[in-house]
Amino acid sequence: MTTQGEFDQRISRRTVTAGVAGGVMFSGLVARLAQLQLLEGQRYREIADENGVKLELAPPLRGSIYDRFGVPLASHRQAGRISIIREQTPDMEASLREVARQIDLTSDQQARVIQQARQQASFQSTIVKSELTYEEFARMSLLAADIPGVQVDMAATRSYPRGRDFAHMLGYVAKASADDLARLTEGATQEETELLRRLFRHPDMRTGRSGVERHAEEWLRGEPGFRRLETNAAGRVIKELDSADVAPTPGKDIGLTVDAELQRAAIERFGDESGAAVVLDIETGAILAFVSTPAFDPNDFVNGISQADYDALRENDRSPLYHKAYDGTYPPGSTFKMVVATAALEAGINPEMRVHCPGHYRFGNRTWHCWKRGGHGSVNMHWAIKGSCDVYFYEIARRTGVEKIAEVSRKFGFGQRWELGMTGGRRGTVPDDAWKRAALGEPWYEGETLNYGIGQGYLSTTPLQLALYSARIAANGRLIEPYIIGEGPRPDERIPDAEPLNEEIMKRMQAGMYGVTSEAGGTAWRSGDLGLGGPRLAGKTGTAQVRRITKEERATGVLKGDQIARKLRDHALFVCYAPADDPKYAAAVVVEHGEGGSSTAAPVARDIMATAIRRDSRRAARWQTASVAPSIITTKGAP
Amino acid sequence: MARAARASSMRFEDRTLASTLGQLPWGLILMLVSVACIGTAALYSSTYTNPAESALPLRHAIRFAVALVLMFLIALVPIKVWLQAAWPAYLVTLAMLVGVELFGVTGGGATRWLPLGPINVQPSEFMKLALTLALARYYHNNLTHQSGRFFIHLPPLLLILVPAALIFKQPDFGTTLALFASGGVLIYLGGLYYRIIFGVVAAGLASAWPIYAFVLEEYQRKRVDTFLAQLTGQAVNTLDDGYQIEQAKIAIGSGGWQGRGFMEGIQAQLDYIPEQHTDFILTVIAEEFGFLGATGLLLLWAIILIWGLVIARSSASLFGRFAAVGCVATVAFFILFNVAMVLGLVPVVGVPLPLVSYGGTVMFTTMACFGIILSVHLGRDERLSSQGVI
Repeated sequence: MTTQGEFDQRISRRTVTAGVAGGVMFSGLVARLAQLQLLEGQRYREIADENGVKLELAPPLRGSIYDRFGVPLASHRQAGRISIIREQTPDMEASLREVARQIDLTSDQQARVIQQARQQASFQSTIVKSELTYEEFARMSLLAADIPGVQVDMAATRSYPRGRDFAHMLGYVAKASADDLARLTEGATQEETELLRRLFRHPDMRTGRSGVERHAEEWLRGEPGFRRLETNAAGRVIKELDSADVAPTPGKDIGLTVDAELQRAAIERFGDESGAAVVLDIETGAILAFVSTPAFDPNDFVNGISQADYDALRENDRSPLYHKAYDGTYPPGSTFKMVVATAALEAGINPEMRVHCPGHYRFGNRTWHCWKRGGHGSVNMHWAIKGSCDVYFYEIARRTGVEKIAEVSRKFGFGQRWELGMTGGRRGTVPDDAWKRAALGEPWYEGETLNYGIGQGYLSTTPLQLALYSARIAANGRLIEPYIIGEGPRPDERIPDAEPLNEEIMKRMQAGMYGVTSEAGGTAWRSGDLGLGGPRLAGKTGTAQVRRITKEERATGVLKGDQIARKLRDHALFVCYAPADDPKYAAAVVVEHGEGGSSTAAPVARDIMATAIRRDSRRAARWQTASVAPSIITTKGAP
Repeated sequence: MARAARASSMRFEDRTLASTLGQLPWGLILMLVSVACIGTAALYSSTYTNPAESALPLRHAIRFAVALVLMFLIALVPIKVWLQAAWPAYLVTLAMLVGVELFGVTGGGATRWLPLGPINVQPSEFMKLALTLALARYYHNNLTHQSGRFFIHLPPLLLILVPAALIFKQPDFGTTLALFASGGVLIYLGGLYYRIIFGVVAAGLASAWPIYAFVLEEYQRKRVDTFLAQLTGQAVNTLDDGYQIEQAKIAIGSGGWQGRGFMEGIQAQLDYIPEQHTDFILTVIAEEFGFLGATGLLLLWAIILIWGLVIARSSASLFGRFAAVGCVATVAFFILFNVAMVLGLVPVVGVPLPLVSYGGTVMFTTMACFGIILSVHLGRDERLSSQGVI
């Protein structure tokens, strides 16, 4: 039993208790306020100050790329474009229809613009059409003021004035995809990553997708400028903050060692043929021409290529997307014979030793054939090179052995990727016993050494390696290294040099190559005359077998030309240097499915070399390559 | 309140209007007006950058003026009338809630409105007041001297549960919680054994994990996870789940001691916080007036509520005590829950800050509560009936 007084007291007490409980809760809230505002206030204030400030990035102008004489290969041009801001027009569709009345703009394109604009905030601008023609730009500049929401301005667009000529070398730029961003921000701090992501979201920003454009991305890109703007949570600009604008720093230029006119002439000389050509400066290793034809037009990629066009490029059987001079690997065929000869001489074989060629060679229970059905008769090394006698090389290859041939191949620069500062580049294959065991799980058979002797079998080489090989012969065995970036971000990866090649042996090889083009019995004796009066060409022909010739076919006569499908025809190769008596340039030419080295590749090479000499591509370049070169040919520690 | 003071006061029927108005606790009313002014200023600051919202502060002030008149009207109604109106009011409101269930108007994903002639009314708001009055009436009539028992509190529980269930179904989680909070306080006041109270609290805590694991849907669990992660200061995806609370914390925290100054808040001016002029209005005050400003507002409210409890204790009738405490509890719940929510201490449930947040219903509910409290104050000496007399 509770009394009246106790009852009264209890209610009063509980009223007070409830009040105290409420008071405790209020105190808890005040404590939390103190925690947020007093203890952590500084941190939150910093975040808040950042919150309202937006850095508006101004894209930097990408650096240009020039050839050795300062001819622009990649630069930029101003192009007009139309954009629309959603919130500035009451009816976006009507505005776009109005634009379509003035310029060519399909209803599909209009729909895409509307869709894109709806995904953005209403105050952001959407590009309706870029790359306006001069006439479109002039007309729209006059009329834009009358169409609500529509603006016309100029923007710098990457352009490649030489179009296809330098497609593979330069690569191209495109809008950064998610993959690009992942690659570009690899290893960056979180802050840098955020900055890059925002920069590449800018509609004018592009990134290098391949070639030098991709490899030298950071060098070419430059530093973005910025303005500090106060924006609300949706990103609308409230006001521009007082702090100074920082103008963008343009990207740095790059000077390549190539000669645009030589490149042009070489491509023209190929005509409709597909193939590759590399011209090197023997003194420095500078690449003067780096041809892969046919090619794509990098200008098509800058604003995004259509799927149909891209598919057409990809399905073209002459592989225009492929950098044949750097990524293409071909059996060198008979152009490889100076490697085998060098290896034989290093192994102590007498160059005057004679081998009888009856047109075939028996080893074990198999017969190997010489390209000349009747045979060369009795030949020494000089005659074997200039007549390209297969039987001679079967014999000395067998005597020299696979390991020695592989060793000398590497001395010439085969079997390794040469870093030039662009994407791509293949190593090719220099087979030996260890390689075959690793790759195929089988030991080397001696019969395969015979194939090695005539540059067939597992051996594969790139045109760049072939040109380098020719240059090293012409330079009396000096270990020249190729490079293409004359001024700019030189790749610092240098390959440790092997033992230099023997000068006496190289002189002998030169004599053989001179014989090929300039002596009776030479396989390319018609190509020796450059048509310049004095200077002559020295070289070596090669034919790379694409298919195997069967016994039956050999009996009835090897099929030629039109009798077989193009893709099964042999590749024609030619390695050379000129002038023969005072070498300045070395080159390699591959005409894909060109059938014969002497009939197809050698004339192309001769004309390219004649142009190189006539143009005197070594005359004082904008980049003083000759004086720079020796310093970059250095030896870096053992592998 | 001293008993001596009560002896000198007059009986209600003897008073003129002027003397009645003179009896009102004007200090309390002045503080209410101050809170509403702070709310109007905060609204002005948070909306003036946006032309579409520029009318809000004025509308807020006008609404408050109307609600103030309503408060006076309720205050001037004799306490006896409220006692008599308690049951009918409760029953009519309950019927309206059932009506909502049957013919309700849906808006914003919830069915809360009942079309009555030309207007839509929100019976759940009336229920806050009606439940308080009904519980006060119940205890007034039934609280005997042996009321420490358990069974006497079962009918009040039912009075709470039925409307709470209907409102929960609308769904309106905030109002449901409000009913439980104010009703629970009244049951406590009614003298429920502490051991039962603690038992219920313990059972509630014990069932938290099973409810989380077996009752909640996946998305609800995720919300709880987000909330717990934020409470313990872990990183959450600030652009997604926790955006609002994260931005609110930035706004509040950046206020520091004194704040950035009126209309200088970055978060407030730049629309970083959704619902900033309604449920999250405290962020504006905390950012622009700092710890001192926010604590000052809370202190103002605490004094107002304590004043309300003092009025309750001075009442001679049980009805008066219970009605006043219930009204104080209703308003206190809004304040405590809203502030805790904005400070990231409880999950985000749409509960506004009385008289400060923009919005009509909560303002009228709040001022009606204070009308009842003032009515209790004016009728504090009325014993009302033979029962329920202290």
